[in-house]
Amino acid sequence: MKNINLRKSLVALSTTALIAGLAVAIPTAARADGPTCSEVAAATKYSARNTQLCTGVDQFGAKYEIAMPKKFNGTLIVWSHGIRKNTNLPKIPVVAPNGYVVDNSPEIAPAPAIATALLKQGFALAGSGVQTQGWNQEEQVLATTIVIDQAITKFPQIDRIAAWGASLGALSTQLLAENNPGLVDAVAPLCLSDSVEANAITYASDALWLTKTLFDPSIKGNGYASGSTGYAQMVTDIGKVLTVFGALSASIQKNPLAPTWPETSTVPATLKGIPVRSAVLLMGLLAGVPTQSRTFDSSSGPKGPLETSFGLVISPSLAVLENAAEAAILAVVATYDLELRAGGVVYDNTQTNWATRLGDDSDVYAAGLTGKTAIAGMLAYLSPLNPAAPRVKADPSAVARVAAYAKIQGNVTVPTITLAGTADHIAQGTQYFIDQYNASVASGKAKPGLLVNIWNKPPDQYTKFTDAGSPIPVDASAPTNGTQHCNFTGSQWLTIAKLLTDSAKSGKAPSSKVVKAAIAKDKNLFTDPNYRGQVHKYRQ
Amino acid sequence: MIRNTRMKRFSIVSAVATVGALVFSTLPAQAATPGVSAKEIKLGYSGPLTGSAGLVYGKLPGAMKAYFDHINANGGVYGRKIKLVSRDDKYLPTLAATQTTNLVLNDKVFALVGALGTATHSKAYTAAQLAKNNVPDLFVNTGFSGFANKAKYPTTFTILPSYAMEAKIMAKFIKDTPTLAPQASFLIAQDDEFGVDGVNGFALAGHKFTAAPTLYPQGALTPALAEGALTKLSAVPGKPVLVLFGTTDSTATILKAAEKLSLTTKFNWIAGSVGGDANTLLALGVKPSTINGALAASFFPDAKDATDPYVSEFMKINSKYNKGVSFDNVVLQGMNSAMLTVQALRAAGKNLTRAGLISAIESKGADFASAGLVPLNYSGTSRVGYNGYWFGQLNEKGELKPFGGKLTVYTTDSSSNSAPTASSYERKPVPKNGVPTNS
Repeated sequence: MKNINLRKSLVALSTTALIAGLAVAIPTAARADGPTCSEVAAATKYSARNTQLCTGVDQFGAKYEIAMPKKFNGTLIVWSHGIRKNTNLPKIPVVAPNGYVVDNSPEIAPAPAIATALLKQGFALAGSGVQTQGWNQEEQVLATTIVIDQAITKFPQIDRIAAWGASLGALSTQLLAENNPGLVDAVAPLCLSDSVEANAITYASDALWLTKTLFDPSIKGNGYASGSTGYAQMVTDIGKVLTVFGALSASIQKNPLAPTWPETSTVPATLKGIPVRSAVLLMGLLAGVPTQSRTFDSSSGPKGPLETSFGLVISPSLAVLENAAEAAILAVVATYDLELRAGGVVYDNTQTNWATRLGDDSDVYAAGLTGKTAIAGMLAYLSPLNPAAPRVKADPSAVARVAAYAKIQGNVTVPTITLAGTADHIAQGTQYFIDQYNASVASGKAKPGLLVNIWNKPPDQYTKFTDAGSPIPVDASAPTNGTQHCNFTGSQWLTIAKLLTDSAKSGKAPSSKVVKAAIAKDKNLFTDPNYRGQVHKYRQ
Repeated sequence: MIRNTRMKRFSIVSAVATVGALVFSTLPAQAATPGVSAKEIKLGYSGPLTGSAGLVYGKLPGAMKAYFDHINANGGVYGRKIKLVSRDDKYLPTLAATQTTNLVLNDKVFALVGALGTATHSKAYTAAQLAKNNVPDLFVNTGFSGFANKAKYPTTFTILPSYAMEAKIMAKFIKDTPTLAPQASFLIAQDDEFGVDGVNGFALAGHKFTAAPTLYPQGALTPALAEGALTKLSAVPGKPVLVLFGTTDSTATILKAAEKLSLTTKFNWIAGSVGGDANTLLALGVKPSTINGALAASFFPDAKDATDPYVSEFMKINSKYNKGVSFDNVVLQGMNSAMLTVQALRAAGKNLTRAGLISAIESKGADFASAGLVPLNYSGTSRVGYNGYWFGQLNEKGELKPFGGKLTVYTTDSSSNSAPTASSYERKPVPKNGVPTNS
């Protein structure tokens, strides 16, 4: 079939180009044998009857899966998973309660239940477990290209290809589409991380540097040594970050109005006169950590005299605390990974002007920050002139290596559907991508009408309180929808899959009317061209 | 096959689209203005309806709605009835951003009116993309001078004089008042943009306080802190001038601390317009004898003065359309903002658009009838409403009477060091039955 032949040519071209362009060299190898298929495996893993599950390993070592139902509807959906840690970890509370071994298992959908549902609808599914984890968008694009090759070789009845991915997988998905016109028919980059620089190096590492500088200078944060020494430094840092966030949380819970600073902090006594919750809030506002988290909405307070003050000065700090812990851990793990990949320090804040970064938030959150005088005092401490707050200078050659990683440009050529949380605490790349697309349209590089954006917002107010007025924590395993990273319900994933595959079939992005009808029953989803989502603070 | 077919289809579609674009580019824009129909104009309000700020300002949207109901009963604006959608932001910035976004995107209001608070509204303005969507942002209840920045807030019109103006006029008043000028003077202010605006205004006026201002974060002025500050100042000889530049709850905390320390007569109290509302102070437990004699700035007539024609007219409307709600400064403020809104809508004409409304206020807003005793300052370059104050003295009933028995209005600006000047402004008569007929 001509269509398949065209795609196969594209795959061959793409694969060659990707290998040549990889910042991290991958040894070339002969094309791997095709996959091994079994109906029993599909029934076991996805409860899918009359479906073949084909597994294999590509020539670069990436494991992959292709699931093909007998009642196939012609569309293959290729999934790109989000970031996975690139290093084994011992048992660490919160981060790896049972320890962690680098996971290269293939993933064909956001969750097995989603895979099952889509297979029942007649879609074929495919995806890889990339051979190199961590920040691996280039390897992931290569692995995805190869799994497409394997799929269309094995199943020539595939007529359309839709690609989707989450977080780092969203970046890979969009790169796949932008750099290989004609390969896929529609894409859905979800909760998009638009680049390693935006996500890990600037946003998360800013949160980590501020945590270190304000609360525990013994956190290393960057410049990890090679070998086992560096590994130990990284693991130690994770422990320190968890410890200091635990201490901050305990302090604020004990005395929300005037919590004390952790013992590890070395800020001067004058700063310690400021409630530490204000320093936590400042850290969040400077880095761009959302002030809405799974538990805290910054919009509610317990009934009674504390109702307004809780929502005004306590809830935003607690939200930052809940969110920033995960951002800071990401920074440690990602920095360790990136420094190994790039061969030096990649974070640089020598030019960061924290006062400028705070901007209007000094007015909006003046009460939570304990007033202008306290703000000035804390910013002065973070000044580059303060030797107690040393800035980090990156290794230019390492920065250059990271800068060479493939970047999305917003050059959308196929129907594209995004979904992002309005209070995502890890990746805030979707609006940036929308801006890129609009610029591409304005300059004639992209056609209008190809991009549809759906947002997932938390309820207007969702923090719950006990009768005594204490906030009731929301468990991390079931966070409030609309908060946190890539936190979508099964129904939301399937809604996107439906819009995506319909677009792949029609060749058109869904109309506003169609999108609104699709999300009408979901209270948290909305679409509106006049809405502007968050972008990372350093870009504002 | 499929790809080729699609490419062909795409080529045809592209050609049609191109021709269509050429055709439609020659036609005038016909997009419907959000929130406006043949029968209705939908306006939105986000502010505190509940919580501690709701206790003080919660009456505002009800007062606006009452006035709009009055207008609707008298034919509306060019036949269109005004509908006000109110949302509770509890005076919390994040919730204000949510609610304002809801008003614009979900409720699809034509314009916002009367939003309250600096922190809340500055976050809401950005979050709801009011500038990008060109949503008129009418008569915002804050004196933060930052909102006068037209480049940053191109659709905003504030109504209160700026805090900097107020501070400059206070400085002038202190200087010109023989009983105050020789006294030591002190400032207790909120440590945010509100207080900073005030501090800057005093500096512009060249007023030097006897000591550095005592600053406190919003909501953090406890009775103990207030008592500590007053105890320290009680040693100052004479009857020092003590300027209170904060919200009403903070003014109440300080006055109650003075009661506890028996220092109510020790100071010449001057309360700013935001924190000097007598009704609220009395409701918060300040004794009538404490406020008796306190000085306060205002740009309105006293809400208790039923001889004022605007107050009298608004009282009638309140009785009819806002049953059971006592008439006070907040109700006066709400009704006045609503009356300005009606005039703005009329001035924008029958073919109502967002751009037209903004333009109408710029060109005609300074001439709108208003209860204010000081001039309105809207123009193509100014987004600040009232630009002056008069000083009065509170009595035990909470009435604000002109200081020295004579009303003197001062006007000034927010940013120059030029001294405030006495104004000869004469306000326009209240429209007949309170229904504007301007165009």
